[in-house]
Amino acid sequence: MKPDADVMLAGFAGTMLMDIAPQLGGEYTLGSVGIISMSMLMVAQEVDRAADVRYQENVQMRALFAEAAKLIDDKNLAGRLEAASTTKDESLRVRALDASNDALKKLLIELQAVAEVSKAPWAAGLEGKIWDFLLGSVEARRFVFPSLG
Amino acid sequence: MEELAKRFATYLAHKMPKASNIEVADVSRIHGGASRETFRLNAAWDEGGHRVVRPLILRRDPVASLIETERDLEYNAYRAFHPTGLPVPEPLYLETDLKWLDRPFFVMEQIVGCAAGSPFTPDPYGPIAQKLGKQFWTHLGHIAAADPEKLGLKMDPVAPDECWSRELDKWEKVIDEDELCPQPVARAAIRWLRRNPPPPAQKISVVHGDYRSGNFLFNPEGEIKAILDWEMCHLGDPLEDLCWAADPLWGFDNKELPGGMLPRAESLRLWQEASGLKIDPKALRWWEIFNSLKGLAIWISAGKEYQSGSNRDPILALSSIYPTDVHNRVLAKELAALSKEARA
Repeated sequence: MKPDADVMLAGFAGTMLMDIAPQLGGEYTLGSVGIISMSMLMVAQEVDRAADVRYQENVQMRALFAEAAKLIDDKNLAGRLEAASTTKDESLRVRALDASNDALKKLLIELQAVAEVSKAPWAAGLEGKIWDFLLGSVEARRFVFPSLG
Repeated sequence: MEELAKRFATYLAHKMPKASNIEVADVSRIHGGASRETFRLNAAWDEGGHRVVRPLILRRDPVASLIETERDLEYNAYRAFHPTGLPVPEPLYLETDLKWLDRPFFVMEQIVGCAAGSPFTPDPYGPIAQKLGKQFWTHLGHIAAADPEKLGLKMDPVAPDECWSRELDKWEKVIDEDELCPQPVARAAIRWLRRNPPPPAQKISVVHGDYRSGNFLFNPEGEIKAILDWEMCHLGDPLEDLCWAADPLWGFDNKELPGGMLPRAESLRLWQEASGLKIDPKALRWWEIFNSLKGLAIWISAGKEYQSGSNRDPILALSSIYPTDVHNRVLAKELAALSKEARA
């Protein structure tokens, strides 16, 4: 599809803000158009990166789980981490990637809860790696808010 | 709007039996928080040989909202603080009978000639930022200093050592019920907050619950004329309000200029001076982290409302995008640093 989705969304938002909004009456309507335009500018940031962000996160979480499975004492959790580490993304559709991302993040929450209270020699290193992953994740998903001036 | 004007005029006639020729005009919906439908209008009537004209605000319960709150809480907060000199609109009527406007509502004075700043701009207040900041933090200090019993506000009591757990339980429940996807940063925050409880509250205060940049009206001379949106008010630790007001989200992601008004150290100093309370750094850190989590809970809830279709107000969609991103980043950074600190 051309023009690209992000280009169109940003363009539409610009048209709404600059051309349509000034023609509208009513504070609530104007405010809503502003909010919709801002949202479109953010969705425009998301559409191009959405699949890549989720795919990369899934790769990183599987690698973390493969490493953690060899370290932790809880056999049940280790088994599930090992199993999750071998899964693959069969589709690159965002909803499919979201589903695997959700499953992996549920396990990550469990793993982090174990690592952060563990006094084992591996715990500090693993906890640090989980935080590095999460810091990278929130940064990759960052939105730039277009200033309203 | 004509139908609403007509029905509201009938309501006013019921509330003001001595008034005649009641007219309701210029009804327009405004953005007044995502939890109530807010309308601005002008009411006029004859009374005692005079024509009275009064600009009013009507706040009506929506079908579904960003935050499920009781409108009488907000109304009673206005009623309690209005006589104290704190700038709040005068509350006029609270109505729960559905026969008038289908849903409960309340009516209050309209503050005219004023504006609210947007927290989503780098410099929302321009040259009057410092003047507003001094009032903003001082008013919050006065709310913290007020005696809830003397104010006559009836709210659920809480013990000083239970303020933190009650609020944390409440917002964790919101996340449990409303999350559309797993929230590793929010969950890490909840675990940290439970492992590191704050000291008991120095005093039990009225907590506004959403005291921040964007929730007050000011005139062009830089005077704060109304503190709004009391719908989440409750009794609790006054540091809860302080840290919500100072949250980086309301300062365009700048922790050092909370609310885009005054530097952080000056803001905290003004609050201490007005409240007569001392800020314990350990408690401050706990409530800062808690408030970013509370924010996440609110944005997660907004996303659920929008996604489920129960409320398609676009503000709910936007709320669940940008503020979620900011609070996830703020919390991840803080918690990663605290984790390193604890391991050192």
